[in-house]
Amino acid sequence: MIKNTLLGFTFLFGMNGFSQSDTNKVSETFSTVHIINGHSAETLKKRQWRYVIAHRFGDIAGPAGGVQTAFGFDNASDIRFGFDMGITDNIMVGAGRLKGANNPYRSILEGYVKYRFLSQTKDNSMPVSAALVGTAYATYMPTSSDPLSVASFPKFIHRFNYAAQLSITRKFHPRLSVAFMPTYVHRNLVNENDQNGLFSMGGAMNIKLTKSFGLVAEYFYNLNTSEARTNYTNSLSFGLEWITNGHNFTLNFTNARGFGELQYIALNQADWLEGQFRFGFTITRTFKY
Amino acid sequence: MKLNLCILCLASIAFYWGISAAADGASSIKPIDKNTSLEEARITLGATPLIHHMDAFDAELAVVGEQLIIQGKANYKEFKGKRISSYFVCTDCHNLGLETLELTSVSQQDRLDYAVQNKIPFLPGSTLFGVYNRTSFYNDDYYKKYGNLVFGARDSLRNAIQLCAEYCASGRPLLDWELEAMMHYFKREELTLNDLQLTTDEMDLVSTASNKTAKIKGAALSVLNDHYVTAFRAHFPGSLDENKRTYGATGNALNGKKIYESSCMYCHGNARVTYLNLDSDVLSGSFLWNNKEGYDDKSIYQVIRWGTFPIAGRKQYMPLYTTEKLTDGQIEDLMAYIKQLANK
Repeated sequence: MIKNTLLGFTFLFGMNGFSQSDTNKVSETFSTVHIINGHSAETLKKRQWRYVIAHRFGDIAGPAGGVQTAFGFDNASDIRFGFDMGITDNIMVGAGRLKGANNPYRSILEGYVKYRFLSQTKDNSMPVSAALVGTAYATYMPTSSDPLSVASFPKFIHRFNYAAQLSITRKFHPRLSVAFMPTYVHRNLVNENDQNGLFSMGGAMNIKLTKSFGLVAEYFYNLNTSEARTNYTNSLSFGLEWITNGHNFTLNFTNARGFGELQYIALNQADWLEGQFRFGFTITRTFKY
Repeated sequence: MKLNLCILCLASIAFYWGISAAADGASSIKPIDKNTSLEEARITLGATPLIHHMDAFDAELAVVGEQLIIQGKANYKEFKGKRISSYFVCTDCHNLGLETLELTSVSQQDRLDYAVQNKIPFLPGSTLFGVYNRTSFYNDDYYKKYGNLVFGARDSLRNAIQLCAEYCASGRPLLDWELEAMMHYFKREELTLNDLQLTTDEMDLVSTASNKTAKIKGAALSVLNDHYVTAFRAHFPGSLDENKRTYGATGNALNGKKIYESSCMYCHGNARVTYLNLDSDVLSGSFLWNNKEGYDDKSIYQVIRWGTFPIAGRKQYMPLYTTEKLTDGQIEDLMAYIKQLANK
C-alpha cells in the first residue's frame, strides 16, 4: 500500500527569465492565474495580492443531481478560499483551504509557488510564455478507522501530496489563446495497485468575445491507465469569464468535483456522460500592498 | 584722559573698518555666467528669493531624493524608508526632463511631438524639470479637485510636494528627511542660465546688470522671466458635450496613435499602474469605442477630463488631463485612432 515518500520538490529557479521591456511583452494571454482548474502562465505582479473564493456545486444530473437537489445547488462538492501574492513580477505564492471533495480527502490546506520563466513577446522573439508551479497539499481530516483507506494515514507524511505543473501558453490572436499543461501528481499513500506518481497532459483554450468577456475550455488527459484507475476520469471544463477592474469572475461547468491537481487529476471519478458535471464559480479580487 | 580718548577713537575707527570689510566680503557679487543658477542670478539682480529657497545643497541627499522620486522609497543613513505610496511614484505622472524644445513652450502638440521624438511618456502632470524655479503650484482649477488644500500648497514647493504625496499619489505625508531629500534633488536640477537659451545680447545684459542701476537690473530680471515658465496653468473644462463630439471624424488618427502609445499605454500597457489592461488591438479598441458615448468613466471624453477617483481597496486612480496638457482636438485624434483599432 505504501510505496514511497516524497518530501518536496526542488525547482530550477536558477533558470533566468528573458530580459525584455514590459511594452514588448504579450499581456492577458489568460485573464488570471488559474484557467479553470489548471494554472495559466500568468502571475500576480510584485506587491499585488488577491483573495480567491471558488465553489463547485453538486452534480447537475445523474443519481445525485436533478430536481431533487436543485440541479446540484443543494450541495457543495468543494469550496476553496485562498490568498495569492506576487513576490516579483514573475514569482508568486499562494495558499488556500479546500473543503475537499471527500474522495477520500477533505479539510485540505494547499500552498503553491509559481515561477514564470518565459514571457511571450509581441515581436515573436519569444513565442510562448511558460511557468512552473509546485503545489503541496496537506489534509488535517480525522484519521479513518479503516486501515485499507488512504485516509488511515499510518504516518504523518501520508497526509501530504504534491503536484508540479508546467504551463506553456501562447496568444495567437487578441481573441485566441491556448495552453498546454503537462502535470505530475505525487501522492505519498495510495491504494493497492494504484500509482503514486501520475502524469497528465492538460490543454486549454480561451476565446475572448470582448475585452471583458471570454469563453474558456480546459481538458486534462490522464496518462496512467492501470487497472486500479479504471474508475477515474479525465476532467473536462467549460467556463465564461468576466473581467472587471480588479475583479475576475469565472462561471463554469466541469466534471471535476474538487480543486487542485490532487483532486481534479488524481482523484476525479465524475463522468460528464453520467450527468456528473456541475456548476461552479471563481471570484477573485486583486489588491496592491 | 586725552590718551584714553585717542584710544577710544582709534578703536572705533578700527571696529568700523572691520565691520565694513566684513560686510563687503558678505555681499561680494559673484559674476553671472551661463552656469549660474537661475535663482542665484535673480537674487543677484535684486529679486526676492523663492519661498522654498535653499542656501545649502547636499549632493548625497539629492541622490536619495532622486531615488524617492523614481522608486517611491529610499533609505538614508539610519532611516529605513517605507513606500510613500503603494500605488504611484512621481514619475507615473511627471517627467523629469525637458518636455518641449523651448522651455517656454506650453503647446500641447509641441509637448506630444517632443515626447514621441524623445521616447518619453506624454503625461498629465507638468515636468519636474525646473520645478525648483517655479513660484506657483496647483494653479487655477486644481481647487475644484482638492479644495482648500491647494491654497497652502500654491506658493511653496515643499507644501506642494506634501499635497502630491498624500493626496495625488494616494500615499502618506513625507517624513522631514524625505521631503528635504526631494528638495535637494530639485535644487540639484534647478534651471541655470544655460537652460534658458538666452541670446548673446540677453546674456550680456544679464551678466553685466548686477553692477548697474535698478532699472537695468529690472530689465535683466524681466529677460530672465520671459525665458521660463513660473507657473503652469491648469483648467478643467469638463467632458466635451455629447453634441459637440465628432467621435474621431474630425481627428487625425496618426496623431491619436501617438497619444495612445505614449500616454494611455504608459499606465495601461500590461496593466502597469492600473488593473485595466490595454493593448494596441481590436479588443481594447472595441472596448473604448463602444463606451465612447455618455459621461461614464469608461468614456474617453469623460475619463480624460475628470479622471477617476480613488476608492477603498482600489486607490490607484486615473488623473485628469487639463486643457493645457491635452486639447479637445487631440481627444478627437485619439478617438480617430481608437476607431481604427476597433475596425469601425
